[in-house]
Amino acid sequence: MNIRERDLPGIGRKFETITNNKDKVVIIIHDDGRREMYHYDDDDYEESISNVTFNDSEARQIAGILGGMVYKPKELETIELAFDDLMIEWYKVESGASILGKSIGEIDIRSNYSINVIAIMKKNKEKLLNPGPEAFLEAGDMVIISGERKNVKKAIKDLFSTGGG
Amino acid sequence: MDHLIFEVGTALILVALAAILANKLNFSIIPFLIILGMVVGPHAPTIGIIDLKFIESTPFIEFLGRIGVLFLLFYLGLEFSIGKLIRSGKSIVTGGSIYILINFTLGLLFAFIMGFPLKEILIIAGIITISSSAIVAKVLVDLRRTGNAETELILGIIMFEDIFLAVYLSVISGLILGDSTSLIGSVTSVLIAFGYMLLFFIIARKATPFLNKILNIASNEIFIIVIFSSLFFIAGFSETIHVAEAIGALLLGLVFSETNQGERIEHLVVPFRDFFGAIFFFSFGLSIDPLALGGAVWLALGAVAITIIGNFVAGMIAGRKAGLSHKASSNIGLTIVSRGEFSIIMANLGMAGGLMTILQPFSALYVLILAILGPILTKESGKIYKQLNKVFKWKIPEKVESLK
Repeated sequence: MNIRERDLPGIGRKFETITNNKDKVVIIIHDDGRREMYHYDDDDYEESISNVTFNDSEARQIAGILGGMVYKPKELETIELAFDDLMIEWYKVESGASILGKSIGEIDIRSNYSINVIAIMKKNKEKLLNPGPEAFLEAGDMVIISGERKNVKKAIKDLFSTGGG
Repeated sequence: MDHLIFEVGTALILVALAAILANKLNFSIIPFLIILGMVVGPHAPTIGIIDLKFIESTPFIEFLGRIGVLFLLFYLGLEFSIGKLIRSGKSIVTGGSIYILINFTLGLLFAFIMGFPLKEILIIAGIITISSSAIVAKVLVDLRRTGNAETELILGIIMFEDIFLAVYLSVISGLILGDSTSLIGSVTSVLIAFGYMLLFFIIARKATPFLNKILNIASNEIFIIVIFSSLFFIAGFSETIHVAEAIGALLLGLVFSETNQGERIEHLVVPFRDFFGAIFFFSFGLSIDPLALGGAVWLALGAVAITIIGNFVAGMIAGRKAGLSHKASSNIGLTIVSRGEFSIIMANLGMAGGLMTILQPFSALYVLILAILGPILTKESGKIYKQLNKVFKWKIPEKVESLK
């Protein structure tokens, strides 16, 4: 998908794309935090046929839903939400992983790997959103991390998969 | 007895009421505050303890308004960025140049034909050329047109105009405020203004690391004191070398925008800009005798007609050059036609330089008309396009492959 980005001086930033389905969608992120989404007529890309406005927290929740962070489609093995270089990855911690037995804070993931642990889904379906430095991981937990692609890959290799370290 | 605070308080209450009314009617507050300022004043009645003449407090309100100008231009300087302009692409630079060329020339010609002397011509051309960034941005958001293809170009042209305004104000403020008894005096004044501007550009380029170090202040309290004291000092100093104080504020904003605290300062300044800016519009209205408006009616109407035509043509050419349809292109001119804060600042400069007094009622009427008519033209642009299409027979808008 080709996303075109432009500055709107005094208003914010504009993201525009035409989907596979030939829908033209424009998203405006206002400097004041509001988001607007426009959908254009299939036959006339100049006529907007609908638009919605979200405030910041609404936009984040909806982004979470669209991005599959709340409900992960069963079909997909690993989900990659790629935006330029930034990505969010789901990974099931393997049994021999080096992070087992250590807390997130001990490893200092944030500064050593430049990634963030957004959430942990424990094996027993318990959800830890925004886990603190004291959180532990067990084999079989689903860890959700975000960061730049190369850092995310490195962290998975070193920390969450068997034989890393 | 000293009722200064009470008088200012009364003025502020009226300003607040006018602003609320403007918001209810979904208009910019600028025309409402100017009208309010014109209605009250020395000719207004005293109702009980409420004195609408504002005789004692006028100098004070004027002073607050001057602070408003400082903040408006300081903010403009903070937003100003050559880098942004370069990144924005060719069609915006082309569009902006076309717009300035057509409208500035029309402004000069209009004032010349009306028989004004040189300095007044320069001020009137400035008043006519510069759109109101505030009104345009508000209208685009209100009408939900931010996603449209032409909006990028509209905001780009506005940004281009702002940059033009910054340079233009700097140069002519030297001419208007400086020594102009002789040609050499005038040239020297302009050169001083130009050199002063250049000095700031160099500081912005070279001294950024140094400023970053100084401005790295964690406490918001101390930060705001440092920023505002430098703002007032630099602005006031500029005045002493005959560069408008507003230009000093603008140039300082420009320097600060290059530092890594630029955004923090922007956030800090916005509420002050809004508050003192509102007082500025009010005090501008206060300085105008409504009875003097009559003499400027035809002049203002002429300028309005020229502005609408010039903006529409420029928008059409710029839009078509950028590959937009006729319909989208017609939106451009019909949107950037609104006039507001910058036209008044321009007129204010003329006032400060002691130019012909007709500039005030002229600019007030001109801004009033276009601050109200502009957003209406924008809103009805679809209908206007349909009517024009009947005359000019542009074809049915083709699909624009904007992602190509």
